[in-house]
Amino acid sequence: MKRIGFFFILFTIESVLLSPARAADPRYPDWPCVQPKVPELSATSMWDGPSIADVGASWQDDPKVKDLVDLIAARRTPLDAAKKAISEFITGTPAEKQKKAKEVFAGVFDTLSAQRSEVMDGLERVARKEMDLAGKIEFDVGNLHTLEDKTDADQAKVKTLASEIEWSTRIFEDRRKTIRYVCDVPTTIEQRIFALARAIQQTLN
Amino acid sequence: MCLRFILGIALALMLVGRANAYHAYVSNERSNTVSLIDTDAWKVVKTIKVGQRPRGIAYTKDQKYVLVACGDDDTIQMIDTSSNTVADTLPSGPDPELFTASPDGKFLYVANENDNTVTIIDIARRAQVGAVQVGVEPEGMAVSPDGKILINTSETTNMAHFIDPVKHEVVASVLVDQRPRFAAFTPDGTELWVSSEVGGTVSVIDPARHVVKQKIEFAIAGMRPDPIQPVGINITSDDKLAFVALGPANHVAVVDVKTHKVLKYLLVGQRVWHMAFTPDGKYLLTANGVSNDVSVIDVPALKVVNTVQVGELPWGVAMSDH
Repeated sequence: MKRIGFFFILFTIESVLLSPARAADPRYPDWPCVQPKVPELSATSMWDGPSIADVGASWQDDPKVKDLVDLIAARRTPLDAAKKAISEFITGTPAEKQKKAKEVFAGVFDTLSAQRSEVMDGLERVARKEMDLAGKIEFDVGNLHTLEDKTDADQAKVKTLASEIEWSTRIFEDRRKTIRYVCDVPTTIEQRIFALARAIQQTLN
Repeated sequence: MCLRFILGIALALMLVGRANAYHAYVSNERSNTVSLIDTDAWKVVKTIKVGQRPRGIAYTKDQKYVLVACGDDDTIQMIDTSSNTVADTLPSGPDPELFTASPDGKFLYVANENDNTVTIIDIARRAQVGAVQVGVEPEGMAVSPDGKILINTSETTNMAHFIDPVKHEVVASVLVDQRPRFAAFTPDGTELWVSSEVGGTVSVIDPARHVVKQKIEFAIAGMRPDPIQPVGINITSDDKLAFVALGPANHVAVVDVKTHKVLKYLLVGQRVWHMAFTPDGKYLLTANGVSNDVSVIDVPALKVVNTVQVGELPWGVAMSDH
């Protein structure tokens, strides 16, 4: 690969590492997404029904609630099917309905918030790996230039190093694309929590 | 006779029933469309294909057009409100985001987000007639009710710039909290409200003295402060209530304009940014970017009464003045 090609790689890597998304919030230097990082969701941003403060983890004690939460939280369950399951489950006297609604919402919120945190942690982990790889590529490119500048350069070494850089760059690019795609996942999860919260709350109206 | 009487009553009832039907236009930033909502049926009756990245949206004063800023196309498109099709464009300058019109409806003042400029357009001539250099990332735009002062907020410089709309020059700048997104005068013109998205406040500015006289803060029980990010501000025409959209907090704050006290928080949709009143002031429509819908707030009741699904990433709402 020609020297100009490596300059281009370095430029791409620098522009990724110094992109506005990375510089946007100094509190989260590893956060790789354009979307701002909101580390924790609060139930009150999704729900203005009765407080779930007293529910805690007790929703897990009722197998029926737990099964319903597993079903409706799963992204493979279409939203309409989830809404139907909610309205079929939250029935009875007003007090019974309120208890069930609180438990189901607490379960949905806990389950999907945990999933969201896992995705966000994963994104930061991959972003850190990406930073390390960028450092390695930068180092290797520097070494390659030093080698190439020697009049009696060992061509076999040059070839090996160039091939290594090419391979690392490909991994770097693939990860970058994956990160961009996964950056939408926390929002997708928030959308699901909100839609389910609305459906649960409607059963109380 | 009896039948004619009944038909007459039925017709009258139908007319009364339709009396509150208005059209709301909602810009969908990701789907590059504008959703047209009938406020009688509370449903989308038409989806209009527009340019790329539509954000700022408003009626012209004569109500003949709805203007929509298409940032990635560097233009403002004019939707003809009789045919609901894009009929013309305005030379907005690069990356238009938000805009406002002079009280007489002749001029349009446009914030060019990536160009640190406010572009002034003569709407009838479809021509640029001036440009004013402002701070970095201009966004919020407002005109005083008498038309004598134009306001622009710059998101990165954290200022509200006071611009002379005749001389096309900045005459004063007021520092506000981080990332000012929106500016609105109270209808009586005595106060200028500027929302700061990252700062989490609304600065109440005395526009005559160019000083911040109070900062309104927001706190929702059980919620961390980070998602409370004020953006859109809409004030009722009687100067009594202000509604402040709190972004990813998914709530709209209701504020007493006189005391600057928050009276209530209403849960709407996800990432609420910009809003518009129906002409009768009875409803406030909020564009919710993440839940892809519009919430309908009953203003006298201070209650969310409806939700309308629109396109992807709804950004702003335009309602006619009457």
